[in-house]
Amino acid sequence: MKEQFEARMLRIHFGESDKWEGKPLHEAILAKCQELGMAGAIVYRGIEGYGTSTRVRHASLWKLSRDAPIMVSIIDREDQIAQLLPHLDAMVGEGLIAASKVEVIRYSRAAGEMKTS
Amino acid sequence: MLTEGKALKVSITVSEGAMYHGASAYASILDFLFYRGVSGATVMKGVAGFGADHHLHTTGVVEVSDKLPMRIEFIETREKVTELLGKLEEMAGSGLIDVQETNVVKAAKFSKEQKAAPEHMKMEGKARMMRIYIGESDRWQEKPLHEALVQAMRANDIAGVTVYRGVLGYGAHRRVHKEKPLHLSRDASIMLSAVDTEDKLKSFLPVVDRMVEEGLVVLSDVDIIKYSWRAPELETD
Repeated sequence: MKEQFEARMLRIHFGESDKWEGKPLHEAILAKCQELGMAGAIVYRGIEGYGTSTRVRHASLWKLSRDAPIMVSIIDREDQIAQLLPHLDAMVGEGLIAASKVEVIRYSRAAGEMKTS
Repeated sequence: MLTEGKALKVSITVSEGAMYHGASAYASILDFLFYRGVSGATVMKGVAGFGADHHLHTTGVVEVSDKLPMRIEFIETREKVTELLGKLEEMAGSGLIDVQETNVVKAAKFSKEQKAAPEHMKMEGKARMMRIYIGESDRWQEKPLHEALVQAMRANDIAGVTVYRGVLGYGAHRRVHKEKPLHLSRDASIMLSAVDTEDKLKSFLPVVDRMVEEGLVVLSDVDIIKYSWRAPELETD
């Protein structure tokens, strides 16, 4: 089954050591996405980078320090993204959120349960 | 480039320890030949020998001799050899140079085909980014789907693609399997990201259609600031 629709993509950038209520921030964001019924979210770990704090983040050299750059990517309908944004605002202390308009083609095996409005 | 037919073979014999302008003579000669565009040259190290001084040089077990003979050989056209000989005589110092007439029966070829630059070499400005989201365990004809997709893109001359593995995630394509729709999947999410012109990506979409059973394809506009393409280096063998 194939569907095509317009959507929005959010990319949230921060550090792996960032926390939210004692939990790693990326896990907290993922949990919030699930709670709000977002279509999906993926966490990526960068191998090197620097960000708002201009700390150079390095995953390979200091395996134990665990402060690699993290990027969470979320794609969903405009209204779903709008619903998530205030939560992200509160959770992401130091970081960057980028949004862009995207076109989506979705392939699924069964008639999906995702609402494409 | 050297072609079949008459040519000259030049052999230069110097001592391994011979120097030219502070560097070893044979290496300097090889560099000279390389940068003057000689078709090919070979340096051979003798295991023993004697020369003008009539000292026999061998590799002793105790001392490693630096006086062993080194021979540099190359084959070129008469014009090219004439052009180079003066400098070679200077570089060879007390060594020997001999030239023989020879016949090239089969000329060496570039081991890599020289291809014209692909059309997307000059790609800049407005372009499209295509991201494909699939699962790491997805397969296509017995091979991992993301590998198959990369091969398919290569075959379709898509400018480039990078595969990313998510460290954590869930998605619509995972959801359909699960009883609890929001269950967290441990099967890593894979994302392929490719940038090319609208037309190229559009013509590739039917291939994606055929290969991706379950997943997400996301298209967006991008501006290409720089796309440089490095020409393959010439092989000089």
